[in-house]
Amino acid sequence: MKKISIDPITRLEGHGRIDIFLDEEGEVANAYLVIPELRGFEKFCQGRPVEELPRITARICGVCPEAHLMASAKACDAVYHVDPPPAGKKLRELFYSAFYVADHTTHFYILGAPDFVMGPDADPAVRNILGVIAKVGVETGGKVIEARARSLDIIKMLGARTVHPIGAIPGGMSKPLSAEERVDVEESARWMVDFAQFTIQLFNDLVLANKEYVDLILSDPYTLPTYYMGLVDDKNRVNFYDGLVRVVDPEGEELVKYAPAQYLDNVAERVEPWTYVKIPYLKKIGWKGFVGGKDSGVYQATPLSRLNAADGMATPLAQAEYERMYETLGGKPVHQTLATHWARIIELLYAAERLLELTMDPEITDRNVRTIPTETPTEGVGIVEAPRGTLTHHYVTDEQGLVTECNLIVGTTNNIAPMSISIRQAAQGLIKKGEVISEGLLNMVEMAFRAYDPCMSCATHALPGRMPLEVRILDSTGQLVERLSQGLA
Amino acid sequence: MKTLVLGLGNSILTDDAVGFAVVEEVRRRIDREDVTLSQASVGGLGLLELVVGYDRVIILDAIQTGLAAPGYIHRLTPDEFRGSLRAASSHDVSLTTALEIGRQLSKDLPKEIVIIAVEAADVESFGEELTPTVAATVPEVVELTLQELDR
Repeated sequence: MKKISIDPITRLEGHGRIDIFLDEEGEVANAYLVIPELRGFEKFCQGRPVEELPRITARICGVCPEAHLMASAKACDAVYHVDPPPAGKKLRELFYSAFYVADHTTHFYILGAPDFVMGPDADPAVRNILGVIAKVGVETGGKVIEARARSLDIIKMLGARTVHPIGAIPGGMSKPLSAEERVDVEESARWMVDFAQFTIQLFNDLVLANKEYVDLILSDPYTLPTYYMGLVDDKNRVNFYDGLVRVVDPEGEELVKYAPAQYLDNVAERVEPWTYVKIPYLKKIGWKGFVGGKDSGVYQATPLSRLNAADGMATPLAQAEYERMYETLGGKPVHQTLATHWARIIELLYAAERLLELTMDPEITDRNVRTIPTETPTEGVGIVEAPRGTLTHHYVTDEQGLVTECNLIVGTTNNIAPMSISIRQAAQGLIKKGEVISEGLLNMVEMAFRAYDPCMSCATHALPGRMPLEVRILDSTGQLVERLSQGLA
Repeated sequence: MKTLVLGLGNSILTDDAVGFAVVEEVRRRIDREDVTLSQASVGGLGLLELVVGYDRVIILDAIQTGLAAPGYIHRLTPDEFRGSLRAASSHDVSLTTALEIGRQLSKDLPKEIVIIAVEAADVESFGEELTPTVAATVPEVVELTLQELDR
């Protein structure tokens, strides 16, 4: 058996696996992204007081604890039938906007930029953040670290703990924002708006000014029309924290707009033999297999999907950039997966602008940040947009508020079907008659799913000495023909 | 010398909490001005942000090399991970890369980083108890940590 070692897959961690199945002619028939599922979560939660779930679910993931915290706090609000006071909601959104700045910054510079700054076929030894810093300058690296640091300061201020924040509680927030703290947040928010604009300029100069990259973005293997999902406000503008879930079809027409409590009427989960993770699809359209298009219930929930599913952005600079993206790429919706990188930095700009708006809101330092729950707890659903997709928490409790049922649909899970299709499309161009055309081109397969920013190891923090991700190629009889992997150093 | 003893992991994923258990025990055993005890669930850049400003860092964590039986105690340095350490996340860089970024940005990095890691049996099931094999290693890891502090 021929064994090819590809470059270290340094920008997608966890122990996921890609299986590429060949047909009898050795052409790519199917490809699946297999994400390991952590076991026993529902059982772990059962019998616990529901107000513990924001703290517990924030521990599921070291990457986006803030997203779980928000979805969980909102689900608890619903369970207890409470509506947080205006300042409580605004503080949550302020907290969440700061988190988005850090998260999108990290993805764009560390995971996305190497492919564009260094080139998709550059030597893996330089196709990484260090190569990016060497090329664009150490000051840019400093800004990336500073953006994260400023964001973490705000999260710490409101969440009390940074890595697994605990600031949001059922009914609102645990403490208000002081006038002095507000001044610091405003200063950071202004810095972040500048930084987001700098990032967009960098993207213009390095990506959009390079015809080769624009052609790559527009190329067929990276084009996947599906339904698109995203949370929108009352004017159908993108919102990360609150609103209704809107789904548009591949032509951009609204299919449905639903409140969190109606998610089960709209999203169904499918069990496939090759993975323990249930694959969500649109219930009204139905499951037609791993295909895109209007007749298939496959949907995407990514930064690009959110922009596609909305009518615009709620802040002026982000709105201008939103319009420019659609003009440049030929109108709405955009089906080019790699344009997700552009959408992500438009969201970065929006998050920074929204953060600034919220810090200037006179109500933001109001002392009333929590509505104390008084009603008997029952059942509730909370939905936010996690950076990597719509995040749904659904809890059922007994009358004491002890959890009896708990279901989560996490950001990355939404995108398993579209990621699998994107991988298949990219692989079809790279594997012919059972042979991998070029080892270096395998990065092109990685690029197909890296754009989605998948989070494979949504929980484990053990130092995984084993392979983070392997690519297996199997022939029509299911025999392993090649394993593309990185062993221990 | 300012030293950080940092337990890494996840308190609700069975053996992934071993680093936390060790830090808690070390906290009971010593009270030194020059030693900071802390816990975190981060990798890569988050880790860089935590270690800046310390002279020395001792990281306590679970590990799955697949090369040793559960309960085996590894003593490692970041160099030994070069090219293979996948600290924690799909959304971050490795510890080695993070430290290199820190160097390029002229951050005040620790002169020494030691990683004491216990080969885990299970880091994929939700649970607040260590597996018995891994739990049995805690006293020894505590001793190793204390020896490391006195070195």
